[in-house]
Amino acid sequence: MLSQVRFAIFALIAGAVSIGRAQAAEPSVAFQRDIKPLLARRCFSCHGPNKHEGGLRLDKPEGAVAELDSGKHAIVPKNVDESELVARVTAADESERMPPEGKALTPAEVDALKRWIASGAKYEKHWAFVPPERHAPPEVTNKDWAQNPIDAFVLANLEQNGMEAAPPADRRTLARRAYFGVTGLPPTNEQLQAFLDDASDDAWPRLVDSLLASSHFGEQWARHWLDLVRFAETNSFERDGLKPNAWKYRDYVIRSFNDDKPYDQFVREQLAGDELEHVTDDSMIATGYYRLGTWDDEPADPLQARFDDFDDVVSTTSQVFLGLTVGCARCHDHKIDPIPQTDYYGLLAFFADITPYADVSERDPDRFSQWDMSKPEDRAHRAELHSSEDKIGKEMHAIEEVGVARMSAGEQEIARTPDRSRLIQEKLQQHLNESEWAQWQDSSKRFSAVQEEIKKLPPPEAALALAKCNPRPEETHILMRGNAHVPGDVVEPHFPAICGDEAPKISLAAADAHSSGRRRVLADWMVSPRNILTARVIVNRVWQHYFGRGLVRTANNFGELGTPPTHPELLDYLALWLVDHNWQLKPLHRLILTSNAYRMSDAGNSQALATDPTNDLLWRFDMRRLSAEEIHDAALVASGEFNPKMFGQGYYPKLAQEVLATQSRPGNGWGKSPRDDRSRRSIYMHVKRSLLPPLLTAFDFPDVDATCEARFVTTQPAQALALLHGDFLNDQASKLATRVEKEAGSDLKAQIAESIRLGLDRPASDEEIAEGLDFLNRLTSQCGQKSTEALKYWCLTVLNLNEFVYLD
Amino acid sequence: MRSKKTNMSVKQNFCGRTRREFLWETGCGFGAAALASLLSVGGFFGSSASGAPAIANPLRPKPSQMPSKAKSVIFLFMYGGPSHIDTFDYKPGMVGMDGKTVAVKTFGRGGHKSEGCIVEPRWKFRQRGECGKWVSDLFPHLGDCVDDIAFVHSMTAESPIHGSGLLMMNSGRLQSGSPALGSWVNYGLGSPNDNLPGFVVMLAREGGPINGAKNWSSGFMPASYAGTIFRANGSPLDDLSRPQEMTRPIERDMLDSLGRMNAVHHAARPDQQELAARIATYELSYRMQAEVPDVVDLGQETEATKKMYGLDNDKTRDFGTRCLLARRMVERGVRFIQLYSGGGHNDDNWDAHGDLIANHSRHAGATDQPIAALLKDLKQRGLLDETLIVWGGEFGRQPTAEYGVGTGRDHNSYGFTMWMAGGGVKGGATIGATDEIGSAAVEKPFHVKRLHATVLQQLGLDPNRLSYFYRGLDQKLVGVEAVEAIRELIA
Repeated sequence: MLSQVRFAIFALIAGAVSIGRAQAAEPSVAFQRDIKPLLARRCFSCHGPNKHEGGLRLDKPEGAVAELDSGKHAIVPKNVDESELVARVTAADESERMPPEGKALTPAEVDALKRWIASGAKYEKHWAFVPPERHAPPEVTNKDWAQNPIDAFVLANLEQNGMEAAPPADRRTLARRAYFGVTGLPPTNEQLQAFLDDASDDAWPRLVDSLLASSHFGEQWARHWLDLVRFAETNSFERDGLKPNAWKYRDYVIRSFNDDKPYDQFVREQLAGDELEHVTDDSMIATGYYRLGTWDDEPADPLQARFDDFDDVVSTTSQVFLGLTVGCARCHDHKIDPIPQTDYYGLLAFFADITPYADVSERDPDRFSQWDMSKPEDRAHRAELHSSEDKIGKEMHAIEEVGVARMSAGEQEIARTPDRSRLIQEKLQQHLNESEWAQWQDSSKRFSAVQEEIKKLPPPEAALALAKCNPRPEETHILMRGNAHVPGDVVEPHFPAICGDEAPKISLAAADAHSSGRRRVLADWMVSPRNILTARVIVNRVWQHYFGRGLVRTANNFGELGTPPTHPELLDYLALWLVDHNWQLKPLHRLILTSNAYRMSDAGNSQALATDPTNDLLWRFDMRRLSAEEIHDAALVASGEFNPKMFGQGYYPKLAQEVLATQSRPGNGWGKSPRDDRSRRSIYMHVKRSLLPPLLTAFDFPDVDATCEARFVTTQPAQALALLHGDFLNDQASKLATRVEKEAGSDLKAQIAESIRLGLDRPASDEEIAEGLDFLNRLTSQCGQKSTEALKYWCLTVLNLNEFVYLD
Repeated sequence: MRSKKTNMSVKQNFCGRTRREFLWETGCGFGAAALASLLSVGGFFGSSASGAPAIANPLRPKPSQMPSKAKSVIFLFMYGGPSHIDTFDYKPGMVGMDGKTVAVKTFGRGGHKSEGCIVEPRWKFRQRGECGKWVSDLFPHLGDCVDDIAFVHSMTAESPIHGSGLLMMNSGRLQSGSPALGSWVNYGLGSPNDNLPGFVVMLAREGGPINGAKNWSSGFMPASYAGTIFRANGSPLDDLSRPQEMTRPIERDMLDSLGRMNAVHHAARPDQQELAARIATYELSYRMQAEVPDVVDLGQETEATKKMYGLDNDKTRDFGTRCLLARRMVERGVRFIQLYSGGGHNDDNWDAHGDLIANHSRHAGATDQPIAALLKDLKQRGLLDETLIVWGGEFGRQPTAEYGVGTGRDHNSYGFTMWMAGGGVKGGATIGATDEIGSAAVEKPFHVKRLHATVLQQLGLDPNRLSYFYRGLDQKLVGVEAVEAIRELIA
C-alpha cells in the first residue's frame, strides 16, 4: 500500500544563503550586514536579550564592552588582542571554544569579527531605521546594458561579484511576462502577434505603456493590495456574516490603480478618507479598509475583543504601510526591534475614535459601518423610517418575550432560531393575555406600515466605511501584558520612537464632529517626506510582484528580524524616485518594466548557479508559477469564455456539494451566479472567510484573516487533482475544444496547432503535432471516444502542462 | 562566557535552526530562485524512488524534539459541548436537588447569571473497571475501557460561545487565522505516510461544525499543513475521483502525453526543480486514486470487527465507520485525525439547550459503542500505546436549567471534562475536580493550552519550543508564555 513516492506536498521554500561578500572588492565590514546576523545566529541564545551568561550580552553595545564575571572584556573596541570574544571563538581547546555547540566559526567569520572590533566595534543602526540616502546610479563597465538607473545598480553589484547579467529573453517570452505581470492575463494571439510584428525601436516601451493603460492593470495590482489588507467580505466566527458593500472597496482599489492615484493620496484616503478637506464617496469607501477584518459578533470577553479588533488595525496598518511588525509590543516591549510597548499603544491611540464594526447587541453593521451615499434628503427620510422601525420592532420583541417565557423549553429554544417568526405566528397568541395580544397586533400593524414605506424609497447607496466615529475617544492606556482589563499609564497618540519624530499636537475635536482628527495626522505623517519607511515599503512591493520577491524579501517586516535588502542603494533610489515623481506608481512600473533587469532570460548558467544559486544578485530573471487567480483567468482566456466585465457585486464560483457540506448550514451565504458572471476574473469572486474556493486555496490563495505579504508557492497533488478532475478546468477544456474545432476545422493537425496556440501563445512544434495526433488516435480508436471528446481531453492536457502554469 | 560543560543543556531553536534561517525556510513566495540551494544535483527523479525527494517537502518526517510516546492522535471532537455532569463527572450530591434554586455564577450564551435552578444529572452512574471510575449510563460500552482512560475534570476554556470556543479548542486562539493543533503537529513532525494527508478531518453526516473550514485551517502556515476533509462515502478527498466520463485509461493517456511534453519543457530548464516536482505530483495523484480508496474499503475488515464498531446499526454506523477509518489511517501512519461527533446546529450536535435527555441519548448513543470499539481494537492490535485518543467538546454544560421549564443546559467553559487514552496516558486516572455541582473547576484547573501542550509533548514536541516565525514573533500553539503539559495525566 505504501508507495515509494510520498503524498508529499512539496513547498518551494527558501534556502538561507548569503552571497560571498568576501569576493567583493571592498574589505569593509558592516555591523548590520556582517556582524549582527552572526552574533544573532551563534551567540544570542546565551548572550542575548534573554540570557546573559557569564555576565555577557552581545545585543547591546554597553553589554558587549562591559566587564564580564571573569573580569575580562568580551570586546575592547579597536583592540582585537584584548577582546576575549576573539580569544574564545578561536580557542584551540574545544572545551574553551565558543560557541559550544555546532561548528566553530569559519575563518571568514572570525576575520569579519576582528575587522569589526579593529574598526571600533560600532553598533550601527538597523538599515531601515536610517533615512534613505540619495545614491547616484553607480558606474559600471558594461555601460550599454545600464541605461536605466535600475540596471546600473543591478549590474554594479554583479560586476563586483565577477558576474554578468543574463541575455535578454526572447520577445514572445517577454510579452507574456509583461502581460501577466502588469495585467494578470495572457496576451491574446492577436495582441502577441502585433507585438512580434512590431520591428520599431520603441516597440517595448509602447507595449509597456499600453499595458499600463489597460484596465486589467488595476485588477491585477488590486489583487496584490487586497492580500495585504486582509480583504474579505464576511466576518468569520459562527455566523461568518456578510459585510455589505465590501466589494465597493475592492472596486475603489482597482480604480485607484487604474487612475494612477498618487500613493500618498491612496494612503490618506484609506487611513483618513473621512477626515480629508474634501471628503468624497470614494474617500469614504476607502475607509472600508478598517472594516475588512474579522469580527466576533458574540465575544466571550467584549472588552478584550474590542482590543483584538484594535490590534487587527494596528498590526495591519503598521505592516502594510510601514513594514513594521509592532504586534509583539502589544504585551511587552519588542525583544529585538526598538519598539517599546508605549509605541504600540501610541499608535493605537491614533485609531481610538474608530467604533466597533457593529454593536454586538444588534449585530447590524448599518450604524457604524455603512455610509449612506444617497441624496441628503433621502438619507434623512430613510434614517427616520429606520428609527421608527427599530422602535416598533423593540416594542414587539418585548411583548413576544413575555409570551415566549411562558412557552415550553423546546419552543423557547426555537425562539432563538430562524424559525422564531413561525413560532410567533403560530403560538404567541395562546401565551398572551388579551391586552398584551391587542398591543402586539397594533405594533405589528404599524411595523408593516413602516416597512411598506421603506420599500417605496429608492434603494440605498451605501458603502462599507467608517460611518460613525467617536470624536472624543476615551483615553488610551497601556494594557499590562495586553490584558484589556489591566490598564496602565495613559498614552497620547505618537509615532514610533525609531522614526525619530516628535509626538504630534492634536487639538480636541468638537463634540459633534464626525471624528477625532487623529487618523489624518497619522496619515499625513506616513506620507510626509520625513517618513523613512512608507516609500521604501511600497516600491519594494512593486518590485516584489515583478521579480517574484522584494529587494527586501520580508515585505511586511523591515525590522531587524526581517531580511536585509539585497540591493539597499537601489531600494533607497527607487523610494526617493517615487516621492520625486509625485508618488505616482505607474511611472515606477514603467521604470522597472523598461529596465534590462526585467527583460533578462531566466535560463540557467552553471557558473552563475554555482556562485549565486538563489539569484540574490539578480543575474537572471526568476521563473515563476502563476498565482491561483492567474491560472483561473488564463484558462478562461484560452477557452474564449473570459468575460471582461469589471466591478460590481462579487460572483459565486460553483462549489461542489461536498465543499458546501463543511459548513454548519450547507450553502449558507453562498449563492448561484449565472455562467457569464462566473467567467469573470477571479478578483470578482465573493470572498467568504469560512468558504474559500478550493481551486484557489490549492494554489496558495492566502488565509484572509491577516495581512499576507507574499504568497506561499507550494506544489502538491491537490493541485494536480483540481486541474485534472475539477469541474472548472474540465469545463474550460470543453469550451476550448469547441473553440478549436470552430477555428481550426476538422483537420486534426490544425486542431492540435490551434489548441497549443490558444493555450500557450505559440506555434506547436512538430513533436507536439505528432504527440497530439497520436493522443487523439489512441483515444478514438482504443478508448472509443468520439473525436470531440478526444479533443476535449487533449485540451485538458494542454491546460495541465507545466508551460501553462509556469511563466519564464 | 560559558564553559563547554554547562552548554550541553543549551536548547536550540526549533529543529536546531536559528530564527533567521527558519524564517527564510518557512517564509513566503520566494519562488524559484530561493529553491536552488535546497536541491540536490541529481534532481527530483533521481531520488524520488528512494522515498527521499531532493526537493524540500514540508511534510517530510522530522525527528521529534524529545522522546515521544505517541505517533498519531485521534481527536474525537464532541461538537456542541457534552454535559460533564451527565457523562463522566459524577455528582452524587446533586441527587434530590432538582428544581432547587441555588446561587451559582454561570456564563453561557445567555450571558452572566448569578443564580439558577438545578437540573439533576439525568442518568445513573455506576462504577466501572478496576479503577472503579463512576460512569454515566450514557456510556455502557465505554465504561469497559476506563482503565485505559485518564479523565481531566477540571478543564477550562476562555469562551462559552461555539464560534470562538471551537477556535480555541482547535487552534488555541479565540480568533480565526491561526493554525489548528493538527497543523502544528504536522509542521513539527511531518507525516510518515506516503499516500494520505497528514491531518485528516472527518465530519458527521449532520454537517460541518460552526466556523466550517476555519476549524482545520493552517492559518498563517502554508496550506500544506491544513486539515484535509476525508469522506467515507463518495470521493474520499476533493477531486480525487475522475469525472464520470473520464476512464482510467484515458487519464493514463493524458498523463503520458503530459509527461512527455513536460519533459521537453523541463529539458530546456534543467535547473528548475519545481518543474520536476510538479511532474511528480501528477504521477502521485494518479496512484492516490488507486490507493486512497483502499483506506475506505471496509470489505477488508471482518464481520466481527464491523459489528464491534456498530456498523450493523443505523444509530452507530456513521460514527462507527469513521472510527474504523481512523484506525485504518493510524495503521497507515496518518499523524492527526479529527472526528466530529455531531454537526450543524441545535440538537444535531451535543448542544443540549432544549431536551437534554433526547439530545445526549442520541449523541452518546451514536458514539459510545464505536469509541469503545476503537479503544479495544487499537489495544488488541498493539496500537493504543502509540495512538493518543482525545475526547471532548469545546466546553461543557451548566448544572442549572437554561429556561424556566425543561432540562436544557447552557454552555459552560468554567469547568468541564475531557479525557485521553493511549499514547502514554495514565489509564484509570482521574485528575482535577469541579465543585459539587460541576459549575466550575476548583481543583487543578487546566486551561485548553495545557491540553494542547500535553498532546504535543506526548508526540515528542516541546510545546514551548515548537514555533513558527510570523508577524515578527515566534508564534507558538500555546502562546508566548511557557505552558506545561498536564503531568498528572502522563503514565
